[in-house]
Amino acid sequence: MNEGFSIRRVFEGRWTQGAIPLVLLVALLLIIEIAAPGFLTGETVALLFANTAVLFILATGVTFAILLGGIDLSIQAVASLASVILAQLLPSLGLAAFPVAILSGLAFGILSGVVHVKLRVPSFVATLATGGVVTGLALWVSNGRAITIEEGGRENTAWINATVAGIPVVVLISAVIGIAAFLALRYTRFGRQAIAVGAGEPAAWAAGINVDRTKIIAFAASGMLAAIAGVVLAARLSSGSPVLANQLLLPAIAAVIVGGTAITGGLGGVARTAVGALIISIVRIGMTFVGVNIFLENMVFGAVLIAAVAITIDRSKIAVIK
Amino acid sequence: MSLIPGRIATLFGGRRWRSLAPLAVLIVLCVLIAIANPNFIEVRNLVRLANSAAVPLTLAMGLTFIILMGSIDLSVEGTLSVSAMVVVLLAANDGNGNDYGWWAVLAAIVAGTAMGFVSGLVQTMLRIPSFMATLGMWFIGLGLSVYMLGGSAIKLNDASIRDLALHRFLGLPVAVWVAFGAFLLAAVIQYHTKLGRHILAIGGDEDVAKLSGVNVVRVRITAFALAGFFFAIAGVLAAAQLGQSHAVIGDGRLFAAVTAVVVGGTALTGGEGGVVNTLIGVLIVTVLANGMILLGISPYIQQTVQGLMIIAAVALSLDRVRLRIVK
Repeated sequence: MNEGFSIRRVFEGRWTQGAIPLVLLVALLLIIEIAAPGFLTGETVALLFANTAVLFILATGVTFAILLGGIDLSIQAVASLASVILAQLLPSLGLAAFPVAILSGLAFGILSGVVHVKLRVPSFVATLATGGVVTGLALWVSNGRAITIEEGGRENTAWINATVAGIPVVVLISAVIGIAAFLALRYTRFGRQAIAVGAGEPAAWAAGINVDRTKIIAFAASGMLAAIAGVVLAARLSSGSPVLANQLLLPAIAAVIVGGTAITGGLGGVARTAVGALIISIVRIGMTFVGVNIFLENMVFGAVLIAAVAITIDRSKIAVIK
Repeated sequence: MSLIPGRIATLFGGRRWRSLAPLAVLIVLCVLIAIANPNFIEVRNLVRLANSAAVPLTLAMGLTFIILMGSIDLSVEGTLSVSAMVVVLLAANDGNGNDYGWWAVLAAIVAGTAMGFVSGLVQTMLRIPSFMATLGMWFIGLGLSVYMLGGSAIKLNDASIRDLALHRFLGLPVAVWVAFGAFLLAAVIQYHTKLGRHILAIGGDEDVAKLSGVNVVRVRITAFALAGFFFAIAGVLAAAQLGQSHAVIGDGRLFAAVTAVVVGGTALTGGEGGVVNTLIGVLIVTVLANGMILLGISPYIQQTVQGLMIIAAVALSLDRVRLRIVK
């Protein structure tokens, strides 16, 4: 049974793709700890997690789309719209503004899914289009301006910025979401079917999986999580704006890919995305620390994205690369 | 003589009923807006219309070639802002002492073409799908240009470059003529060169094209570089029109360009459509935007309308028979 064993095989193995990001994360942490001793204290780690929370929630959503072999380019728009809705409705609805904002994300996620599946439009175009629809609505609702959450509304968002037993509530929220998404992918019918569709759509069809429904659920989850991220972001910044989350699209997708989820689908998961999001967050802190200009961040993430895609992609799955 | 109708038919993509639909939409749109607000057909408004179509038209010309191959180029805004940044920083400006005049324009075009060339290299050599390669290039370009501009807006003071937008020739700003020139160039490339035919062949069926001896890698890289060339010209025009370059000079341009190409009737699956379709698509998008302003509809809702237009156009035009799996 040993005849197929070789070093190369080990490196091409599926587990290595999951292990490399983790090794990278540990290495990054060690580098920072050596460069700035005392970094790894409870307080700074809690801050790191708190600053990663929004990115992680967004990235968890887009993980569903990418696991299916698709992509969701509307997450930043949906998150921004949710922030606008929250800021707009808090004064009149109070806490009820949260479900409204989050349900708007669910609705536009379903719209993306239906357009993608029923009209048979490639997901990057379908979500580019719904992203435009959503951005237009957010601009219209907010009249193109940022809306500050006033004193009265802040009573209802204060709980998000609080801490429970020393742990920031945003970290708890993202942990709950992360665990729920992890369990949903691993132990529910939807999760198994989503991975099956990503691994091989024709086989999934043949096995009797309702591919269309699986895809719509995945995009709905992506939209809803994007809205939750937008709501959390708005509460943290005490403001909602139609461009609030625009800078988060690239880091969110990069977090998923860097974590080791292949854009070809079927391989990866939420745990990997958590590692990826932490890596992105630490690289960002590291860049500020080393003195890299903040404007160059996008360049670094763009290059990181291309490199990570090139490494994780499963080329045997695409006959023609377009 | 009998060749002419045939050629016109090929020019419009062959399947006449489908390719004439965008033209019909454009005409109906113009008539409806003109009825609702007669100011629409005033010369002043038509000039304004042509002026606002200049940058999207030039951008969409480049994008058409990429979509014809069945690929996508999301780096439109990145490349445009790099080109605008280069022209502003090298020509007379209020940020540094450079004054290289039209050499700045040349440098901007070279920079944009180089960006496209790199996109092509990344896509073909690293063998990753174009939407990911160009998503990366989008933010690389954006980051680079914002960094070079130091995060602020820098004014373009070179009078001769500003004249692209301010000087008029035969009643239209020079920028409009440049955009029209870009359209003619793109039309010549698509319908009269080997490159144009090879791009169509790759979009039609890449395997067949490869088996017929088309050097797919070379054509793809050339097409991405060509797209970068058009985006760069659009960047120069945008800088001249705004009289400055800043971090958000590219905002919303990708969306308008994709809408124009798709609404014009070029199929996202590739191999169908072309630059003439895109000309009509650009006019539809511009006329609609102009009409909405004339009718007093909030300009903020424009992106919503464009998004719905993409969905509708793709749903109507996609050749679904060829698509078993859509990802």
